[in-house]
Amino acid sequence: MGTTALNRTLSAGAAGAALLLLVRVGGAGAQGYHLRLDTRIQSVSFRGWALDSIPVGDTVSTPGEGPTSPDGYAVRCLDGASYCAFFRPGPERRSQPLTTTADLTLWGLGVAGLSMHALGRLGADVGGADYWPGTDPAVQLLEGYAQYATHRATVRLGRQTVASRLGVTGFDGAEVSLRDRRRGLDVQGYLGWGLARGGVLPVTSPAVNPLDDFQPVSRQVVAGAEAGWRSSGADARIAYQREVDTKTDKFVSERLALQGSVRPHERVSLTAGADYDIAFGWWGNAEAALAYADRRVRAQVGVRRYRPHFDLWTIWGAFSPVPYRAADASLSVVAHRRFTARARYERYEFDDAEAATPLFQGAESTGWRWALGGTLTPAPAWTVDGEYRSEFGPGASSAGFAGSVAYAPSRRLSIALTGSSVKRPLEYRFNEAVAHTIGVDAEFEASTAVRLGLSASRYDESHDRPDAAAYDWDQLRLAARVVLQLGHGADLRGLPPSIRMLPGGRAER
Amino acid sequence: MTVRLLIALAVAIALPAGLRGQEAAARVRFDHFKHRSLFPTCVECHQGAGEDPDLPIWPEAESCATCHDGTTRPKVEWAPPTESRPSNVKFAHDLVSMMPRKTPQGERALTCGDCHLPADGTWMAVQRATPEGCLSCHGTGAAHLAESGDLCSTCHLPLPRAKRLRVADVAAFPEPPSHEVEGFARGTGHGALATGTSDPVAASCATCHARDFCLTCHVDAPEQPAIQALALDPRSLAIAVTLRAPPSHAEAGFLREHGAALRTDARQCATCHTRESCFACHAPSQPVSAALYARAPGRGAGAHPVRRPPDSHGANFSRGHAAVAASTPATCAGCHVRPDCLQCHRPDAAATPGYHRAGFLTVHPASAYARETSCSECHNVGSFCQTCHQSAGLVSTRALGSGYHDASPFFIVGHGQAARQSLESCTACHVERDCLKCHSALGGRRASPHGPGFDADRLRSKNPEMCAACHGKAIPG
Repeated sequence: MGTTALNRTLSAGAAGAALLLLVRVGGAGAQGYHLRLDTRIQSVSFRGWALDSIPVGDTVSTPGEGPTSPDGYAVRCLDGASYCAFFRPGPERRSQPLTTTADLTLWGLGVAGLSMHALGRLGADVGGADYWPGTDPAVQLLEGYAQYATHRATVRLGRQTVASRLGVTGFDGAEVSLRDRRRGLDVQGYLGWGLARGGVLPVTSPAVNPLDDFQPVSRQVVAGAEAGWRSSGADARIAYQREVDTKTDKFVSERLALQGSVRPHERVSLTAGADYDIAFGWWGNAEAALAYADRRVRAQVGVRRYRPHFDLWTIWGAFSPVPYRAADASLSVVAHRRFTARARYERYEFDDAEAATPLFQGAESTGWRWALGGTLTPAPAWTVDGEYRSEFGPGASSAGFAGSVAYAPSRRLSIALTGSSVKRPLEYRFNEAVAHTIGVDAEFEASTAVRLGLSASRYDESHDRPDAAAYDWDQLRLAARVVLQLGHGADLRGLPPSIRMLPGGRAER
Repeated sequence: MTVRLLIALAVAIALPAGLRGQEAAARVRFDHFKHRSLFPTCVECHQGAGEDPDLPIWPEAESCATCHDGTTRPKVEWAPPTESRPSNVKFAHDLVSMMPRKTPQGERALTCGDCHLPADGTWMAVQRATPEGCLSCHGTGAAHLAESGDLCSTCHLPLPRAKRLRVADVAAFPEPPSHEVEGFARGTGHGALATGTSDPVAASCATCHARDFCLTCHVDAPEQPAIQALALDPRSLAIAVTLRAPPSHAEAGFLREHGAALRTDARQCATCHTRESCFACHAPSQPVSAALYARAPGRGAGAHPVRRPPDSHGANFSRGHAAVAASTPATCAGCHVRPDCLQCHRPDAAATPGYHRAGFLTVHPASAYARETSCSECHNVGSFCQTCHQSAGLVSTRALGSGYHDASPFFIVGHGQAARQSLESCTACHVERDCLKCHSALGGRRASPHGPGFDADRLRSKNPEMCAACHGKAIPG
């Protein structure tokens, strides 16, 4: 059985199991449950490059220009090599990912405060190609845990995520939170087998290593602790997290973070934080922002620093990634009751990489980003939005406009026309991409339990190069969505935190 | 075609209205003043208003024909009303004899003219009796609708007992000036008026309102004796009322402080808010909801809060929310649940653009190179970036130097700056073995990758496995 066939079989099996579970839950009169099923499908395609080569002797040399293939592709010939390499426009990659995300919460299990939570996703590429990322493996458990919550404590056991200044960390294990609401204090500790960063799979999964690179053979153990204090005028929080390779008993990461905010006035806040990478011995990300917000004006000025974080099971940290420092400002003003204008600007500069060579000068190390946009509401049901963005910096730049005209005569129906035009030149490759899109999105709430969505968009994309590798690539993207909200349990007093019962779907929020 | 359709519609609407107007005009109304010389007394026609209440109040239609016989006078089509006008007034004409009137000349019996003639007594200038006429004896001197609420029941029935009033009649009730006073909607306004009498509920309320009306807003209706004292009557809903948020809800700090206000005294909130109204914004939780009443029959629906983001959640908030969320996660948890976070932080392969704008795939190198935000908070480099780049032919599969970075002829010798500035971008296409071809102490060009900030001793102590990738067993130091 091939991987794709296996995926489909697993999808069907998991879908059947979910339905069985639903039937059983529906029959359990004493229980309360909330189930949200979000099924989506989209048809997408993209196109990249295909590496090719020709014998050195077959290349064509033109005075004043570099060598090319006979059909006009610029080729790269290394000294002493018998073949020259070049990139042709790649094949069209078409994909139709289909996913169903189930968000299930059960309560009323006979113990006050006890609840079960599961957030899982079934995915498959109905086209069978699996070009689009995210459908492998077919069954993905984002969260699945039992929770016992009281006024002062919460205990969770199972697959879960914790979000902190150090990121969104997933693990299979236990978390305990204690809080003293009167004093505004809380502490939290967790321990478990970690998941890969930015994913829901263990770091040992083949799916997170498509290029067959070095990969740990065992899952890391993650442990962390947080403590926080909050009041009406200020908050402070400290977080510590370590990951340890269970096979070598060595650190995968060890970090400490501090975060705080003060609100000297009800409309003014100052937020600042930083994290320190204990394993590498350097500061990671940091930022400070002063913000003002009322119903008409939102303004913020800030400074920040970004440095990537790498686990110690890779060698990347030893390559000394350098941080950039940035200053930014943003402003949003309700200029008229029907019009809101917004703008933001950021300028950044990388630290000295200490890697300059005489043969390679002038690489960019500073950049900026800005955007200017507005939202017009000419009538209660109509919204017109547009924004122009431009960014310039190392590696790549981009500029373009995106806009939409939306009509929503009621909460049950919305229709939007969207369009954009963007261009993106690269610094290290001849490739200026331009994309024009136009599309339509529609959302319809058939009932409080059913929400439907459809969208279609046309992409016209071109890649400009000074050789035969320039190409145009157009595509029609289609997407559909059905959200089902099912719930049972009239006595909401027994509901634990972290359940939502809004009709209409989370996307509405 | 469209014009014709509009004309046809206009005619269709106007025709019935015109017919109704003609019908009304055809109904003959007796002109008392025109006949003033013919009738010396009222009771000559309105016998029931005289001493014998058993006699009919209206004359017979045939009595008109005495003069309007079609010969000397034209015939008229008049008929006495078959039933009295719908009203909530308690008055009956047989009570008149029991209503003596004080005059300068002494006490005398009430006459028809006292109520139905103008003040100057012009004979047969008959008019409908007015509230002011009643109040000239029964009132305190104030205007009808400004009179003391205790007096309403003197002349009026409570709405549920005024059975013949139609919904339209109720809707046409005039609004007393007390209702226009600022703050009337509060408990200290209409609530104090309703409960400020010895009766369970003020007669002034009961005259125009019934419990259904109160249930338009009052969630705590079962706990309010004054509301329970009113009978149910759906006609009371004909008086339109809109539940408006009190001024405090528009104050700048309200969103932040309303939780504390609820914990201090939930009764105020419970007037207009059900437990479910909290859940419009909040993740359901015991502390928030327990102090309020759950939606139930007999309770008003109350306020329907519309979830709206706080002022801090501006157009650019999604890009900068991390710091705020990390600082006060409990504040976020008031309205958001973790699946909300995971909707973006663990994205769905079949989802259309949401966090990222349309066409982001084309421009993402610009955002990714100098990490506008940390991509790896939502995307796994292996399963997301490398998988897609592999499909697009963008991963390194052979010896380095194939010429992908062709805009810089010496990129391979000068890539250090680019790599240190955006190592995360490099790892989306390159794997460790690509770099170890040169950057290894065990072979290749033995080029050291270590740069600013590199702390060999620390890393060796934390995890020498990483060092071994390049140095083998001969880790320096």
